[in-house]
Amino acid sequence: MIKPVPDRDSAEWWERVARHEFVIQSCEGCGTLRFPARAYCPRCRGRDWSWRQVSPTGRILSWIVNHQPFLPDAPTPYTVVMVRLADAPGCVMVGNWRQSEEPVADQPVRAFYTYVDERLSLINWGPL
Amino acid sequence: MSGPRDRTAIAGVGYTAFSKNSWVSTLTLACEAVLAALDDAGLTADDVDGIATHRVGDSAAPSLVGPALGIGAPAWYLDQFGGGSVSHSVVGQAALAVAAGVAETVVCYRAINARSEFRMGGTGRAAPVGLEAQYQVPYGYTAPPQQYAMYARAHMLKYGTKAEHFGQLAVTQRANAAKNPRALMRTPITMDDYLASRWIAEPFRLLDCCLETDGACAVVVTTAGRARDLRRPPVLISAAAWGGGDSFLSGGETPADPTVTSAAELAPRLYAMAGVGPGDVDVAELYDCFTYSVIVQLEDYGFCAKGEGGPFVASGATALDGSLPVNTHGGFLSEGYVHGMNHIAEAVSQLRGDAGDRQVPGAEVALSTAQPGYILPVTSALILRKG
Repeated sequence: MIKPVPDRDSAEWWERVARHEFVIQSCEGCGTLRFPARAYCPRCRGRDWSWRQVSPTGRILSWIVNHQPFLPDAPTPYTVVMVRLADAPGCVMVGNWRQSEEPVADQPVRAFYTYVDERLSLINWGPL
Repeated sequence: MSGPRDRTAIAGVGYTAFSKNSWVSTLTLACEAVLAALDDAGLTADDVDGIATHRVGDSAAPSLVGPALGIGAPAWYLDQFGGGSVSHSVVGQAALAVAAGVAETVVCYRAINARSEFRMGGTGRAAPVGLEAQYQVPYGYTAPPQQYAMYARAHMLKYGTKAEHFGQLAVTQRANAAKNPRALMRTPITMDDYLASRWIAEPFRLLDCCLETDGACAVVVTTAGRARDLRRPPVLISAAAWGGGDSFLSGGETPADPTVTSAAELAPRLYAMAGVGPGDVDVAELYDCFTYSVIVQLEDYGFCAKGEGGPFVASGATALDGSLPVNTHGGFLSEGYVHGMNHIAEAVSQLRGDAGDRQVPGAEVALSTAQPGYILPVTSALILRKG
């Protein structure tokens, strides 16, 4: 697994994921929810924001079943899903899907945390 | 905004051989393609006062290529960051420089050892670029075929696009490549071959994916007036547009409909600049990093309704004898992958009427496009016209 390299805007988000907090940014000016973490709101251009805890659920937007060994240490096949968050339809995350059955379109899903080490957890997805 | 419509032209095109291993540097490839393009135009390096390319840290810069060819003090140059999204903007920006009078003869090149040295995305030396990678690489989601497969699946789910639609595109383009002596893959394939090819990232099979190629391609941009006095029939740059759109960033920053690309925003502007519409286009060389890329562009450039790209291809419309021949050279899927410049050069050949066995009779207007805006949410495109 290649560990993520946080940027200066996203470092705190990754710290919160490591504590198993499911948060995205909420604009203090216009309330727009956004992910990934950025300093400015793309809608009102405001710079004030706070973390908002949202439901760790969403719906399947698309998925792939990967067979080509693009990464040397990732056993194939594996599934990557794209999920639209239930509480923030403008926010989309990708993660792995480790289930015996393939996902289906628009399937309700929930987040699972995969512990890597004390500073890193990953967000993966499974049926709600 | 009409832009410098028909005031500039492409006066020459040049290629190196395409291969899986060039055994030479990208600097050498660039020089070879540039010299070939100049020779095609009836010019020499002494005539050049502008040099332009795009790259992602994977190729020789204009500041290397210029001195290597004895072009020591160009009046204008461009070292554009970016991959397939920006290929056509390089020629567009050269046209602006020529139209503005800051340069008269600009060579645009793309030179890559994209198989033997620097493979795109997730394999070999190429590292994912951009802040989005942190949200993707831990999940093994790193390579362009994976990302495009994700969007292709979304299109299949929303519009009923089928594997056979992707397959028909691969089969059709291979048939074109069979008529192209430059093409790397010239053996015809069938739908059964397509369906039997191994999975890369479902829903993509091997034959959904473009080649990875070592090679270079170059074009010469000059004024329309000067081009008329040169060796080859001029091909006018009627429109060049580039920019962003409401694209789907895999990092999720501006999530919209994943089945619509930046090309949908760019197309009306591009057509207006040229004063033509999709119905006027005789031949289209569309960025085909993957089969789905062509299908979504057929929709977003207005050749069929949204969601109808698959059936449009299945109807045979994109074949050489169809209503809109697409990727007459075989495209990246079968000719070779030079990141866009070879699509521009093929459009030039078609409009000059020198495309040999794959010539579209009477072609007068061509569309050529860049990566439509997935992965990087920008695109670029040209409309070229027989001079």
